[in-house]
Amino acid sequence: MKKNRRFLIGGIIILAALSYMIYGGMQEAIVYFVTPSELKANERSSADKFLRMGGMVVKGSLNKNLNTLTYRFDLTDGTATFPVYFKGVPPDLFTEGKGAVVEGRIGADGVFQATTIMAKHAEEYSPHADGKPPSKSFVPGQEAVAK
Amino acid sequence: MTSTLGHTSVVLALLAAFCGVVCPIVAARARQERFLAFARYAIFTQFVLVTLAAGALIYGLIALDFSIKYVAFNTTRATPIYYRVTGLWGALEGSLMLWEWVLIIFSGITASLYRDRHRDTMPWVIMIFSIVSFFFLTVLAFVSNPFETVSPVPLDGRGLNPLLEDANMMTHPPLLYTGFVGLTVPYAFAMAALITGKLDEAWITTTRRWTIIAWFFLTVGNLVGAWWSYHVLGWGGYWAWDPVENAAFMPWLPATAFLHSIQVQERRRMLKVWNLSLIIIAFSLTIFGTFLTRSGILSSIHAFSSGPVGGFFLAFLSLILLGSFGLLAYRADLLKEQPELDSMVSRESAFLLNNIVLVSALFTIFLGTIFPLISEAVAGVQVSVGAPYFNSVTVPLFLFLVFLMGVGPMIAWRRASWDNLRRNFLWPAAGSLAFGVALFIWKVKEFLPLLGFTLLAFVVVTILYDTVLALRARKRIAGEGMVRGLVTLARRNQRRYGGLIVHLGVVLIVLGIAGSMTYSLEKEATLALKQELKIGNYSIQFEGLKGSRQPTHFRVEGAFRVLHNGSDEGILNPALKFFPTQQSPIGRAVHQSSLTEDIYLILSGFSEIDRNQATLKALVRPLVIWMWIGGFVIALGTVICIWPMKKTELTEP
Repeated sequence: MKKNRRFLIGGIIILAALSYMIYGGMQEAIVYFVTPSELKANERSSADKFLRMGGMVVKGSLNKNLNTLTYRFDLTDGTATFPVYFKGVPPDLFTEGKGAVVEGRIGADGVFQATTIMAKHAEEYSPHADGKPPSKSFVPGQEAVAK
Repeated sequence: MTSTLGHTSVVLALLAAFCGVVCPIVAARARQERFLAFARYAIFTQFVLVTLAAGALIYGLIALDFSIKYVAFNTTRATPIYYRVTGLWGALEGSLMLWEWVLIIFSGITASLYRDRHRDTMPWVIMIFSIVSFFFLTVLAFVSNPFETVSPVPLDGRGLNPLLEDANMMTHPPLLYTGFVGLTVPYAFAMAALITGKLDEAWITTTRRWTIIAWFFLTVGNLVGAWWSYHVLGWGGYWAWDPVENAAFMPWLPATAFLHSIQVQERRRMLKVWNLSLIIIAFSLTIFGTFLTRSGILSSIHAFSSGPVGGFFLAFLSLILLGSFGLLAYRADLLKEQPELDSMVSRESAFLLNNIVLVSALFTIFLGTIFPLISEAVAGVQVSVGAPYFNSVTVPLFLFLVFLMGVGPMIAWRRASWDNLRRNFLWPAAGSLAFGVALFIWKVKEFLPLLGFTLLAFVVVTILYDTVLALRARKRIAGEGMVRGLVTLARRNQRRYGGLIVHLGVVLIVLGIAGSMTYSLEKEATLALKQELKIGNYSIQFEGLKGSRQPTHFRVEGAFRVLHNGSDEGILNPALKFFPTQQSPIGRAVHQSSLTEDIYLILSGFSEIDRNQATLKALVRPLVIWMWIGGFVIALGTVICIWPMKKTELTEP
């Protein structure tokens, strides 16, 4: 039975190492998904968190500067809106009045500093003849700054 | 008309599949050979009917029969003929049709190839195939019917997703499906072995080639997917740990583990339960992958649509898991006797570690993929798990795997002596360490990349060293020169040398991944005419915009002159495509490859007024090309592994 015990110990060590890696990995990579109203309600407690916020780009709010590649716009979920700042190149499908998902943190000025924009990419894939809402599908946007 | 033909074929095939499930049971219970023949006919009948149905759908797509909803949604009058055909796997219903078609082709080949062998297990093999086929046909007949009609018939169709209009999309899904479906063969034989209680190595020996073929298609299917992502999606990457990429990748892990651990069972009669479990898991993951991608429960670029299909797949998945592991538990007493591991330093234990690493990788990827579902279901919190999780967890695991790739093929079975270790590993280890030190002095200062490149060198050197030793032996014994010696070695032991070549291919892929993960550059800017963007050793000059009308879209392309270290490398034309059916343009990135690095350009915008301004994103991706080269090397190795040889030539050296 000595052999069995050795395997047991080996197994426990492997499991422990794996759990540690998973835990560590999750800590740094998990991103919470919020709506503009949720973010508005918890603005202070979400100050340092890396978040993903989804909503509609408010019509008329998009302010872009192609020379500096900076974008300012508001995202809304119907009840609340949240200002967003982005430097970089948004995906092709990103435009006013359409859904978008942004990733980043709230800056000191209370503006959401997005590092990534993902545009909502619903209609083309699915013929929703059954009247169901289109599925959530996103095109990965381009990262604004290489780390 | 076409739709009636197709749908009728599907329904009739469903009846044949039912016979295919019932007849083998009768054949085995009543020992009635007649029913076994019926079962075989049931498979062949399905083959004919499903081919007819798939043919009908392809015909509908080519002939633009817009009365079929699927055709109307996936083609337009302007769609070129080859993209009409690829429309077969452009959306959910068609891709299920393709899946069923490939499945029934595999079943047909198996049933006719082994018609006179494996008399005890064959009925059950046919039954398993028919059960899987029955499930897919049920879905095709009643849940997501590709032959559904529309009325009034639209004048023009809506067209394929423009992102799918690419040559790679002609190959990526069929390759991947062939890999997925190929795993059904070892699975069916494994289940038949469990049902009959004939749990020796026969099922493994019979299906070995099939497993290698399935593995190969899985590998290449994933690689082509990565290539498509790199080439078409225009974000400069090839792998985003998107749930659907994970779904396609996950079966590869247990399949790879299985491919290695069956060698332990063949050689040492160990790991029986483990091997059976691996193949059950691999097969279940192919169904799970379809569930994940086709049920719409995860947001993803690949997710076609939500609908009732998801529920069906989930139910089928549960049935497979319960049935298979139930059988395994039922046969537990037959699977008990197993020789034990002699030493921790042996080939068995290298294979065992390889399996542990692969299964760990599978577990972590699986967890990361479904974590958002768990989180939302349990805590009601919407989260996503980003690429950093997958990278940080899998990179160490895969590096360890690379190390094992160097050790495994060379270490002795049972118990490696000091002598064996010294003979096989002393020089390779010293050589690769020296290589690592040189790399450190030259350029690579970070720990993980340095470790990675050193381990890759270790694998290459062990393989070369071993081959050189074997060649020397050939020279001594038979006086053969290098080329002749290599041919003899490969012919005498095709699995070993084919396998080693596959390993070299994997090394090249890892090299490409490591290089591009570590040393990529990205930069973006809005350029006026003649203005330059500098990135790495490149400077890119904007030379103007041009618009042109294409069959399905309007295309705006930029001209950018690429200068590398001052020398002119020509003009690249990244473009934006404007499809009338889409609200936003689709980017068309371009890149120029060399053996050391790729320069990759994305046109992200332009000034619509005077056309003398363009926004450009440029990336430098080192060593990416080696991933694609690695794919070809793997193909070569696979061909050597499975090349049919006459029995007399197959003697072990």
